[in-house]
Amino acid sequence: MSLAYYPGCTLKTRARNLEEPAVASMEALGFKLDEVPRWNCCGAVYSLADDDLIHQVAPVRNLIRVKKQGKNELVTLCAFCLNTLKRANLLMRQDVAKRDTLNAFIDEGIDYSGEVKVVHLLEVLRDEVGWAALSQKVKLPLRGLKIAPYYGCTLLRPREIAIDNVENPTILGEFLKALGASPVDFPESTRCCGSYQVVSSPGDIAEYTRPILNSALKNGAEAMVLTCPLCDYNLGRGQKELAKKQSGFREMPLLYFTQLLALALGLGPQVCHFELNHGSPESLLKEKHLLSQVESFQPIGGQK
Amino acid sequence: MSTKQRKRKPAKTAVKEEKKIAAKLIPIYIMGKRYEIPEGLTIMKAMEYAGYILIRGCGCRGGTCGACGTVYRKPGDYKLQVALACQKTVEPDMYIAQIPFFPANRATYDFAGLTAAPEEVFKLYPELFRCVACNSCTKACPQGIEVMDAISALKQGNIAQAAQLSFDCIQCGLCTSRCFGELAQYHMFQLARRIYGAMIVPRAQHLTEMVKAVGEGRYDRFLEELKRTKEDELKKLYEEREVEPMAAGEDWKPKDRRYL
Amino acid sequence: MSYLGYPDFFEPYIKKVEQTRPARIEKRKKGEEFPFMSLQERQDMLRYHPDYKEEGRREIKVGPSKGYRIAHEFVDLLEAKSRVDPNKVDLSRVDYEADVLVIGGGGAATVAALIAEENGAQVLVATKLRHGDSNTMMAEGGIQAATKREKDSPYYHYLDVLGGGHFKNDPDIVAAFVKQAPDALQWLERLGVMFTKFPDGRLGAMHGGGTCRKRMHYCADLSGMEIMRTVRDEARNRKNIKVLEFSPAVELILNEHGQCAGAVLYNMETEEYLVARAKAVILATGGSGRLHVQGFMTTNHYGATADGIVLGYRAGVPLSFLHTVQYHPTGVVFPEQIEGWLITERFRSEGADVLNVNGEKFVNEREPRDVESARFIKECLDGKGVPTPTGKVGIWLDSPMLDILHGEGRVRTAFVGKWKVYYRLGIDISRAPMLVYPTLHYQNGGLKDNAECETGLPGLYVAGEVTGGLHGENRLMGNSLMDIVVFGRIAGKNATVFAREKARDGELTLKHVKAYHKELKEAGIVADRVAPMLLPDYTTAEVKEKQLTVSYLGTLR
Repeated sequence: MSLAYYPGCTLKTRARNLEEPAVASMEALGFKLDEVPRWNCCGAVYSLADDDLIHQVAPVRNLIRVKKQGKNELVTLCAFCLNTLKRANLLMRQDVAKRDTLNAFIDEGIDYSGEVKVVHLLEVLRDEVGWAALSQKVKLPLRGLKIAPYYGCTLLRPREIAIDNVENPTILGEFLKALGASPVDFPESTRCCGSYQVVSSPGDIAEYTRPILNSALKNGAEAMVLTCPLCDYNLGRGQKELAKKQSGFREMPLLYFTQLLALALGLGPQVCHFELNHGSPESLLKEKHLLSQVESFQPIGGQK
Repeated sequence: MSTKQRKRKPAKTAVKEEKKIAAKLIPIYIMGKRYEIPEGLTIMKAMEYAGYILIRGCGCRGGTCGACGTVYRKPGDYKLQVALACQKTVEPDMYIAQIPFFPANRATYDFAGLTAAPEEVFKLYPELFRCVACNSCTKACPQGIEVMDAISALKQGNIAQAAQLSFDCIQCGLCTSRCFGELAQYHMFQLARRIYGAMIVPRAQHLTEMVKAVGEGRYDRFLEELKRTKEDELKKLYEEREVEPMAAGEDWKPKDRRYL
Repeated sequence: MSYLGYPDFFEPYIKKVEQTRPARIEKRKKGEEFPFMSLQERQDMLRYHPDYKEEGRREIKVGPSKGYRIAHEFVDLLEAKSRVDPNKVDLSRVDYEADVLVIGGGGAATVAALIAEENGAQVLVATKLRHGDSNTMMAEGGIQAATKREKDSPYYHYLDVLGGGHFKNDPDIVAAFVKQAPDALQWLERLGVMFTKFPDGRLGAMHGGGTCRKRMHYCADLSGMEIMRTVRDEARNRKNIKVLEFSPAVELILNEHGQCAGAVLYNMETEEYLVARAKAVILATGGSGRLHVQGFMTTNHYGATADGIVLGYRAGVPLSFLHTVQYHPTGVVFPEQIEGWLITERFRSEGADVLNVNGEKFVNEREPRDVESARFIKECLDGKGVPTPTGKVGIWLDSPMLDILHGEGRVRTAFVGKWKVYYRLGIDISRAPMLVYPTLHYQNGGLKDNAECETGLPGLYVAGEVTGGLHGENRLMGNSLMDIVVFGRIAGKNATVFAREKARDGELTLKHVKAYHKELKEAGIVADRVAPMLLPDYTTAEVKEKQLTVSYLGTLR
């Protein structure tokens, strides 16, 4: 089955370790992730300004191109792209005046009114594959791996676009269970990582991420699972700073959910690009016998 | 003016002018001012017909140099049209303005010190991320380049794609003049093409080998010989030289290998 | 009403091309070629070439090449006064100073500037239009260098250059050229020029007219543009290269020791004449198509007006091979909007036939350019050209063959520049042939120099189309782009060495201009012409009669 798929710019550069295992895993599950032709940046962040329609152009144009592709559902991997696309989509459904202006300006020859359904890959796994079926496909169960599911904001807020229960999300936990891992509940799992604050005040990142990381560790997590490259960047950088500032602080591997998926489906570490991760999971995975002792994460030939 | 005078001029001009007189005149507006111009002329020739002596806004007159970027509108149509003045034929009631120069930010860099990492482009042109996908650039491109797609490719770190999509870019700057995000797309593409050409596409190994052979003086003797050879003998060598057939593939080899 | 985008008028003619096409394709596939002419046949054919028309030229009466017969259009420029009164230019007030002054802004000039800068010179580039507005920018076909050792070498490149030039070329210049061509090509590759390559990095290469090995490398059909914009981009990275646009040189300046020591520049926008002093000067002003020799249309850029020839000649540099100019066989004759526009030889290199009005082949499509052009002209004189509704005549170039020979889409992808322009005019050249006729393309000769780019005037170096000697009497396709790179580099290096080691301080002078004026007077030339012309004049006679002042033609005060 072919799914219209929106990667996002970061997944093509810094976060190839989020995309490549996803593409391979979905293929193993019988789905082809079919990139939207001529997709552009999602808009990066949803503009809240009422009079700043120009920033809705990028996400809406992508949605129009999905329609031109002949699809009515769009799959995303990056939680931030999901958030931006889904909120722009909501605007196109709800605000008739803005919809007309945007359609007239975008000039793609199609009137768009929010008819494409934007979903996250986790939703596809939950609703189209199903946790039970997924668990049957697992070849290398992630037994004994204690992982903190981190949602951050963008999968869940605002309420209208949430992929799960806003107060008490379980989708990542269910996902981990299906792969045979042990989810570690922790109270800060939906707390903000600092998001774009890192651009204006990079010094504050440690303060944003400190409670999240400490809470996960205190509850016994050995690693954390993520859906968003920006969360990854902030938490990764926050960890490094905390390791310097806070005695006894222990850095833990940060993993994308797609890497765990590929690993559990037996696709091997190469497709996971662990070498791009913040905090190498190598020793943890070896310790849990999820990686053979001889394998290492050197980049494959020719790639920098 | 008398026809006699014209006939004294070289043939080419004479033929052209006779034709101009026969052609139907149409009105165009050069920067708002009305002129009657024979139909069938390009915008550039129309301006010259009107009496303009172009210093700016005219370069190769063949659609490749990017000097003559022009915008125009037609009455009753809100759409802004773009063209190269040397390529576009005038239409009645066009309102024309040339844009011979437009300020654009160009990064300077030590090219030999760059790598093919997308981050190099991001660092030199951080404004790349101000693109809001409004697509005005694409609409403004007289070459029909998918400018916005090429910018998207750059943001996605796909330098190869940006280089290929932008290959026909004549750097006229019309995209830049229309950019909402204030990008100078054509400078970014130039960087992308150079990185692609020098660092992404494999280098020609056979060229390196030839340069080495030349450097070692392998052909000096042959060339010295040729320099001393008399015309008649040269003609013989020329006529007898083996010609690689048109249909030959990459693996073709000549029979005579003495001068290789 | 139209047939394949052409007016109905052409329908019967295009149908003839279509009728003969399948048989011609079969021949191509079997490798059967139309026979090449022998050297003798070529020589005979050249009677039809415009260069050989005696009424088209006359003897020049003044200067170092007095008595040389060249086209009237050149003589008119050389038998003309300076744009400035040499007594009125204040040479003691220097406006610009540099180690090396490069005059021109095209390929040769830019390459020379880069190399001069790399060798430590402060470089000033003065150019008439914008940096890069040049014939280099328009060159499409490709760039020759022997790069594949298993089948080619500088030896064969040398033979081809000579054969093309009727064995009249300067042997030292040719030898230096073919020897340094591979290195020059590698230099371009490292600057990031996007050559068309195989996936493993091997350079695509093909035949050009008169080549015995496929050594024409290329960047789709925009080779010159790709090279020009790359070297220009690099020049913009160099802090010791300053570029003055819209500031052509109108006269060289010498110093009291007889060395070239700068130029008088003309700011075309403010109409000021400015003095640039330099320790060495590189003249790279390109060609002269805009003189419209013998009334021919041209493929050249707007500024190709032989300015450098005028400057150098007045300063005492003789001419070489200027009696021949190159007519490119395939300039567009129809549609009118793109008349004179160059259709790259590469169409023929890839296997497109040239055909007469009956859709028949009458010449091998890869004869040297002068022979090919002469043969086209003969075919039309014999009444076998294709007529146009505008009263002209042309030859078919059967581009749709390439899609059949190399696969659907070949024309669209390998000749994207051409395809697009025609497409905008309603013609899809992957389905319909193109109508062409010889067009003024290249100045084979120019100022005399040697393999080191030195002229008879110490401190004056020349490179590119403004020179004469490399191409002899006829240039081969792909050798001009290599010319500008090889000799641009040599000129850049040698000028820098001269500036450092041989240039002497001394009073600036325009004595040579005064002397030239005197010689004109003594020869009884009373014309009111001034030169260099800088820009061609396309104003209609009606308008011109009313333009009582025309500033750019030179306001003599």
